[in-house]
Amino acid sequence: MNRYLPLAIVSLAILAFATLLLVIVPGMQIAADGVAPGLKPYTAAEARGRAVYVSMGCLYCHSQQPRDEAQAPDGERGWGRASVAGDYAYDAPHQLGTMRTGPDLMNIGDRLPSQDWQLTHLYQPRAISNWSIMPAYPFLFTHKDKAGPTDVVVKLPPAYAPKTGVIVANQDALDLVSYLQGMKHDYAPPGDGLRDNGYAQIDARQMPQTDAAKAAQ
Amino acid sequence: MSKKNKQDPRLPDETFEPYEEPRLIPLPVYWIAIALAIWGVVTLVQTSNAGHFADKERAALGEKTASVASPAASTAAPDTGAGKALFADNCSSCHGDAGEGVADAIPPLHASDVIKAGGASAISQIVMRGIGGPLIVDKANYDGEMPSFSSVLSDTEIAAIADYVATDLNGMNSTVSPDQVAEIRTASEDMDPWDGGAGLASLINGLPPQPASENASAPSPEATATASLASQGTANIWSCASCHGDKGEGTQTVPRLAGLAPAYLAKQLHDFSKGTRISDSMAYVAKSLSETQITELANYYGAMSSPSGAQPALKGDLARGEQLALSGDYSKNVPACFTCHGTSGIGVGAQFPGLAAQQPAYIAHQLAMWAGGARHNSPLGLMAGIGKALSDEDRRAVADYLASLPPAAGNAKTALAVSPTLKETTNVQ
Repeated sequence: MNRYLPLAIVSLAILAFATLLLVIVPGMQIAADGVAPGLKPYTAAEARGRAVYVSMGCLYCHSQQPRDEAQAPDGERGWGRASVAGDYAYDAPHQLGTMRTGPDLMNIGDRLPSQDWQLTHLYQPRAISNWSIMPAYPFLFTHKDKAGPTDVVVKLPPAYAPKTGVIVANQDALDLVSYLQGMKHDYAPPGDGLRDNGYAQIDARQMPQTDAAKAAQ
Repeated sequence: MSKKNKQDPRLPDETFEPYEEPRLIPLPVYWIAIALAIWGVVTLVQTSNAGHFADKERAALGEKTASVASPAASTAAPDTGAGKALFADNCSSCHGDAGEGVADAIPPLHASDVIKAGGASAISQIVMRGIGGPLIVDKANYDGEMPSFSSVLSDTEIAAIADYVATDLNGMNSTVSPDQVAEIRTASEDMDPWDGGAGLASLINGLPPQPASENASAPSPEATATASLASQGTANIWSCASCHGDKGEGTQTVPRLAGLAPAYLAKQLHDFSKGTRISDSMAYVAKSLSETQITELANYYGAMSSPSGAQPALKGDLARGEQLALSGDYSKNVPACFTCHGTSGIGVGAQFPGLAAQQPAYIAHQLAMWAGGARHNSPLGLMAGIGKALSDEDRRAVADYLASLPPAAGNAKTALAVSPTLKETTNVQ
């Protein structure tokens, strides 16, 4: 161990090389990709709802990254098309998530657009699915004797409804539902959008059977 | 440890530094390393254009989807043979190859007095909005439903079909340009289908006498209450429209309801409530509905006509989907969808729901559920066998193809009788 200098130089060089290829180059690629055409910036309510989403740690159980048809049946589950980098242009930090304890939420606004459903489900997931392991969020709601003129009353089955009075949604719950309702990435992805190419090569070999190949020829 | 104490020669020399003779790396290791490096570079070069290749495929797919998604966009001039081909693809399954129609069921388009009075422009209007209700063509009575093709055909295609029907089938000197069709499209946005002959009378001057409309009556209080239930829900259930859409067109795995047979809708609601069809959200809703509400909601959605809210989205192979829908695949023991679900997937009776313009994710999801046994409420277990026989690609192909079809029009005549003691299917014809 008497050649510290070359060792240090080589290890730093490896680190720099890895940073270049894993951080700097992808960063430049993604920055050049820009906003996906069709993606709208968050409204004020959606932005507040996103903050609630982050603070509640939804990310620990819900991903936001549907995968390609060739890799997973996400499209058939109604989770939407495979996402591209431009879909996350307004997300900092992104909420990609890695766990799918619950379903993917990238297109939850398409799949379950109902505000009433979302409020009932947030208040008590077991009211809808008795096997659900999602935590309930009763602290986002208030028990009132009588709903005010602007209050949004949560629709509940008798078994979960309070004996007297009503459950109304707090602003946080309404914002969170706005955010979820806004999760609609149903516009066509840009043709050159950055994404996982999936089994593109395998697809390509099988392509002669499909229309797309005929059209391309 | 002074220098006087000379080291015991029997002990190892403490100043000894171990060393190693230089040993060259064996030549084969060099060879392997060089071969690996060459292999790496070759692989890099070979696969470097894979991304571009996929880009091309994606672009081709994107164009295809885009052309389905926005049919109004294309404005190229129609060519002469196109009208005939489009007629064969879209019209002939009901109206016949030469537009001869079907006696007492489907009006003829060949030498028809209605078309002679209206010309190509009237044909475009009908294709754009669809038509339903009593109609007299060539002194014969018809009372059917034709869906709107606005979501399926582009302006150019509608113009080509209208020109073909007016000139080739009726010998008229009447054409319509894509620009005129575009104006009709703008004007008929969100409009209900033409109300039979009575509706056409307002469009076409000199139309032969037509029967009176059946839809003239104002909505009854019950109908208003049902509409409110569908759009507002009740104190403890969500509204239908909050998920299924204001026009019952559905979204993703939420199915289109508009135009499905009331008897089918009522059976599904009963099955959800009994647990023979599984969906947590729908079980919650169905258990809270009374028998009368179920019947009225089924009738409400059965009579609803709305434009298609679906478009191919699962990257399915549309040609394969068309093959499965029209002729099936007997190598897999899969019958054609349309043998049971009706021509163009418009649905038949209580057991075979309409499939046309259904949400692709819903169809693919349900097929997977049939295959896995999670859905098992079909007569004779028919769909379970079909679901199992279809591969994942086939499910997506057929779902995308069905999404590309024009939606079936609502039909008030299949409505169920409203009775609190109603059990299953009392079909009033």
